[in-house]
Amino acid sequence: MADVEFDQVWKRFGPQESAAVHGLSLNVRDRELLVLLGPSGCGKTTALRMLAGLEEPDDGDIRIGGKSVVGLEPKDRDVALVFQSYALYPHLSARDNIGYPLKVQKLSKADQADRIERVAEMLAIGHLLPRRPAQLSGGEQQRVALARAIVREPRVFLMDEPLSNLDAKLRVHTRTELKALQRELGTTMIFVTHDQAEAMSLANRIAVLNAGELQQIGTPDEVYDHPANVFVAEFIGSPPMNLMSATTTGDTAVTDGGWRLPVPSGSAVDHPETVVGLRPEGIEIVADDHPGATRAEVITVEPFGSEVIVDVRLGDDSIKIRTAPEIRPAPGSQVALSVKPSAVRLFDRASGAAL
Amino acid sequence: MTAVATREALAARADEGPPMRAKAKAGPVEWILVHLVFVVISAFFLVPFLWLLSAAFDAKANAYVGIPTHPTLDNFVKIFADYDFGRVLANSLFVAIATMILVVFTVALAGYSLSRIELRRKDWITYAVLLLQTMPISATMVPIYGLARQLGLRNSYLGLILIHAAIELPFLIWLMKGFFDSIPRHLEEAAWLDGRSRFRALVEIVLPLARPGLGIAAGLAFLSAWAEVLMVVILIDQDNLKTVPLAFYQAMRTQGGYTEVQYGVIAAMAIIYLLPVMLVFFTARRLMVSGLMNSTRGL
Repeated sequence: MADVEFDQVWKRFGPQESAAVHGLSLNVRDRELLVLLGPSGCGKTTALRMLAGLEEPDDGDIRIGGKSVVGLEPKDRDVALVFQSYALYPHLSARDNIGYPLKVQKLSKADQADRIERVAEMLAIGHLLPRRPAQLSGGEQQRVALARAIVREPRVFLMDEPLSNLDAKLRVHTRTELKALQRELGTTMIFVTHDQAEAMSLANRIAVLNAGELQQIGTPDEVYDHPANVFVAEFIGSPPMNLMSATTTGDTAVTDGGWRLPVPSGSAVDHPETVVGLRPEGIEIVADDHPGATRAEVITVEPFGSEVIVDVRLGDDSIKIRTAPEIRPAPGSQVALSVKPSAVRLFDRASGAAL
Repeated sequence: MTAVATREALAARADEGPPMRAKAKAGPVEWILVHLVFVVISAFFLVPFLWLLSAAFDAKANAYVGIPTHPTLDNFVKIFADYDFGRVLANSLFVAIATMILVVFTVALAGYSLSRIELRRKDWITYAVLLLQTMPISATMVPIYGLARQLGLRNSYLGLILIHAAIELPFLIWLMKGFFDSIPRHLEEAAWLDGRSRFRALVEIVLPLARPGLGIAAGLAFLSAWAEVLMVVILIDQDNLKTVPLAFYQAMRTQGGYTEVQYGVIAAMAIIYLLPVMLVFFTARRLMVSGLMNSTRGL
């Protein structure tokens, strides 16, 4: 069992600076792939480094498999970390890099060779083993770094933006592989990234962090469909959720641009100061005589092949709509918009929290 | 959008200054003048070496540079037969190599500590180390003599080695700190996570990467201990402990009760004295150049 638990963990780097990690409490289940997602400086890497033992928390407890690891040396925690820079030992061949943790464990030469071969085969890097890191491409270095982590069979894998130095195509390819690999190995993995698409595609669950604080934790669908606050709503999704200030009375919200939107049943009604959130695919361009439709001016149309993003203006609000590729309204023209009540999200304007 | 950005970037670059002027071709007069200056400067530095060569192989060597009038190898025979130069050389080698080993070991640990370990007032310590380097060594001569006497370190290689190492340490600690600063921390963190202790990670991962720096430190420590005169003169007066600088001294003053400079002998000694220096330089010059470039990058 290798579940991981952060329990009210605090970390502050300087007396003047605000906390890098702010009372973080988080449970990572055994065999789960959890993604820590957030903008740079949100504390996600610090959280990971505290789990690895490279930083010590100022307060709180971190447990792996139910046992506290606070105060343990990194070498005694049995976690493997893949660094953003890969951190391959430049003076050792790929084989010796991968074999280094095994050498530390004093495995017999035959066992070492055996395990290196097996991992190299799994990652298709057998032909790279004699080379030094400087002779490898970025993608190859990334695989060797991954192999060095896997070969140890650690309790937990930690990944610190391991894909961010790869080019876009390789990144997408590698993340698919990584997901399959994690499922195959069945090892708990915590993956840090600032790329929401990477998080959505990889994660069993996503933990969204901002300014050292946990904003929301949930499955990709949960954080996408029901963001806990305005920050999550804006951070997840590309293009992000459309957010508009609105006044809500009863079952209707009226945006500052004058759009009357149905509020999903069960949402708080006695909360006039709100922000309405609409995913780009939650808005439909409809016929002009559609009941309840509102009209807006088309600003730009961005075709992406499989979809089209239409940017419209309604009052002061700029709204992005995702439509089918055959819908191409002319810029400058007026279109009618309609929304299903279930697509509407409401947030408190003062706190930003979902209602 | 991209085109506009590119154009703006180009415009910004154009504003930075005119493009570099093509290198003007030197005229013949300029060429001659430049080379003349080089020749004069080279001659200035080469003359002493020419003298050494001519005097060492001349039975009637004097203080002037010239073709040997009485070519001979006698001077070399004499220094080993009459001046026990074999033992003197061995003594010097022992002191220089021992100093080198002590210095390399110390700067590796001290440089690493200043680069990596969190200490209170670390910047003060770092500057204090540099301050030591600025002390003129002759100013410390008397206290060092007194200290060595009290500690029983006169006529002892331990004393000589400690002093030689101390002279070189401040600068080399700074040099190594720069080297360690330039080695990414992630590498040793990776080694810790792979199961190594801090010390083993230092030995197995960090030190191999700091090899150019350690090479420079070793080379400079050896050369400085090999060439150091002042401390040898004040600390050593036993004949069997004599190192090369003292042998020179001896060849200069005591010949039959009156001062007579044995030019041929001194030149022969000097040529042999130069050999290890040349050897160190030519074997390590690549390492030292790349190392010094690295170290300035790290500062």
